[in-house]
Amino acid sequence: MAEESRSVSSVQRILKILHLNGAYVAILTVVYGLLGALIVMALLWLPQPYKMISIIKLGLVPALAVIAVVGAIRGPIAGFVSGFVGTFMYDLVIRGTIVTMGLTAASYGILGFVVGLASYSFENGRFLLKLSILSAVGLVLAVLVIVLTGLTVEGYAALVAIAYVLLPLLTTGLPSVLFLTPLFARLWFEFAKRFVPSALNR
Amino acid sequence: MTYATSTLFETTPGYRTDYYRSFAYDLIKRMNTTEDEWGTNSVEYWEWTHPEYNYNTYYWPNATDPSGLYIGGFRGPANIMWTGHYTLMMTLYERNFHTGEMTDEITWFIDDWNNSLLTDGFGNPKDGGIWGVGLIPCEPYIVFAQCNSIPIFCTEIYDNLYGTNYRPMWDYGLNFINTVMQNQYGLFIDGYYVSRPTSTYYNPDRLPATIPGPQQDLYLRDGTPKVSSYCDAWALDFLEYTQPEETAHDYPIFLQHFRKDLSGDMMYIVDTYTNTKGFGTFDILGSLFTLPLAKQRGDFVTRDRVLNFLMSLFNKVWSDDGRMMYVDTSSLEPFLESVLSFGYIWAKMPVTIRDLGDARPTDFWNYPYISAADDDYIWVYQAQWDPEKQGFILNVRVDQTATLTFSNFQSQPTAYLHGVPLTTLTASGSDFTLTLEPGIYQIVIVEGV
Repeated sequence: MAEESRSVSSVQRILKILHLNGAYVAILTVVYGLLGALIVMALLWLPQPYKMISIIKLGLVPALAVIAVVGAIRGPIAGFVSGFVGTFMYDLVIRGTIVTMGLTAASYGILGFVVGLASYSFENGRFLLKLSILSAVGLVLAVLVIVLTGLTVEGYAALVAIAYVLLPLLTTGLPSVLFLTPLFARLWFEFAKRFVPSALNR
Repeated sequence: MTYATSTLFETTPGYRTDYYRSFAYDLIKRMNTTEDEWGTNSVEYWEWTHPEYNYNTYYWPNATDPSGLYIGGFRGPANIMWTGHYTLMMTLYERNFHTGEMTDEITWFIDDWNNSLLTDGFGNPKDGGIWGVGLIPCEPYIVFAQCNSIPIFCTEIYDNLYGTNYRPMWDYGLNFINTVMQNQYGLFIDGYYVSRPTSTYYNPDRLPATIPGPQQDLYLRDGTPKVSSYCDAWALDFLEYTQPEETAHDYPIFLQHFRKDLSGDMMYIVDTYTNTKGFGTFDILGSLFTLPLAKQRGDFVTRDRVLNFLMSLFNKVWSDDGRMMYVDTSSLEPFLESVLSFGYIWAKMPVTIRDLGDARPTDFWNYPYISAADDDYIWVYQAQWDPEKQGFILNVRVDQTATLTFSNFQSQPTAYLHGVPLTTLTASGSDFTLTLEPGIYQIVIVEGV
């Protein structure tokens, strides 16, 4: 009986971390994820200027920071949905294609999922630093999965993986998540505090 | 570059100043630089007489038997990779600018191909021509679908320009590439040896067990014919005018086997599907040739994604005045540097290679057109005579005060801006001039005051 109770309690804990503890909470989590996906899609659609310096691509990808922030706001499922659905829909609607059976899009969900596993207080600088670091970790994991998927499932060349996928994603993605994620999180906090304070009750 | 810029010229058929014509002319002259005049800097040297190639002394049917038919020589019958491009460049020049200065040389090559394809080389009729395959080799011992697609397309334009009927001389060869030179998916194979090479310049692993026979795949080494994306994309693009069904049928199969997706924004075309783990010049070339093919097939998704891939590692560099931009591809090997830069035009112009196959109507050359202009001060977006409404449509941006000279107007023309008379053109001999101050104009010019 005690073991069963512990098991139920641990499931509830996991559901709570995932923000799926209850129908209303779960629906809200999915709504957050889908709203994030819409923003991700819109940001990916906008032109993103960059400068090449040798093989280093300098630029920012704000959509990556949005994926991380959604994860930080509403947990791993919302983060995953915003990354996966946002990228998948961008590929499908704007670019007219599905890349590697959607696996590449799912990889972007990893970023939001990883960031969403921890909890944050956006008014605290140390938490913002933690958010920044976890976003970088999430991005590196996502990029590694993208590259592995490309090399194994899609089957493209290692040189292409390095020059056209790994390096550009890391050199534009890391500055984006390191600097833009805490900034966006703080902006969200200020916005929510003023207009939807209930959203801050994680 | 000629093919890319020919599609550019076609977007403004009524703007035919020396600005465009001289560029096309210079490209043709550069293509024909001879060893006598330019030594080791000539196209002739790098393309044919380089000692490592051993192309100059070639005879048919035995390459080393001087009693046979001599097929060596830069301008000779077995160098279609040069004669085809050179003649098509000249033919497009005549199609676009109608000067007549190159017609005789074009005709000489057309007659030479006709002799090679329909006779034994000595003038005696023979099915399949000198080499028995209805195609013309390069190097000079191997025939390629892509290299022969160029003179085939050239012959189509020639017939359309001059009212001749040379195109059937390619029937045997077209049947050969559509039946014999095919892989298991129905795509063109890369090359077919018609005689044994004496050059040591090329990899002997490419040779088939028996000659004649198909060039061998370099990676499988099990007798599988070599297939490459640049060959297929190029041939499918240039042959669509002649056999549209074949290109329409092969295009999705081509993409199915050669495409690699990187992201929603980017995809590339592998050199060959038997070696997807490698990446180099021929993967870039395959991607490059896919640009005009995808555009021609109306597949703008693929075109844009491949273009993003090709351009993603390079910066766009703008001039200080914002009038000019180039893609800085200087980090690439020289061979790819310029072709990749022109790949942007190749991909983006709203005109396809197939569109260039038709000659202009005879009356076209009597239509009013811009024959001279201060080209450096203007951007011409639209310039063409509307034969139905009898008006010249001109959309132009003028950065500095510029004068445009119009030829072929029969009487005093007047320019209208948004339906309101702007000015009457000034007579200058048999021509008329229009001077415009800086601004953007949407003008219609009609005869009468």
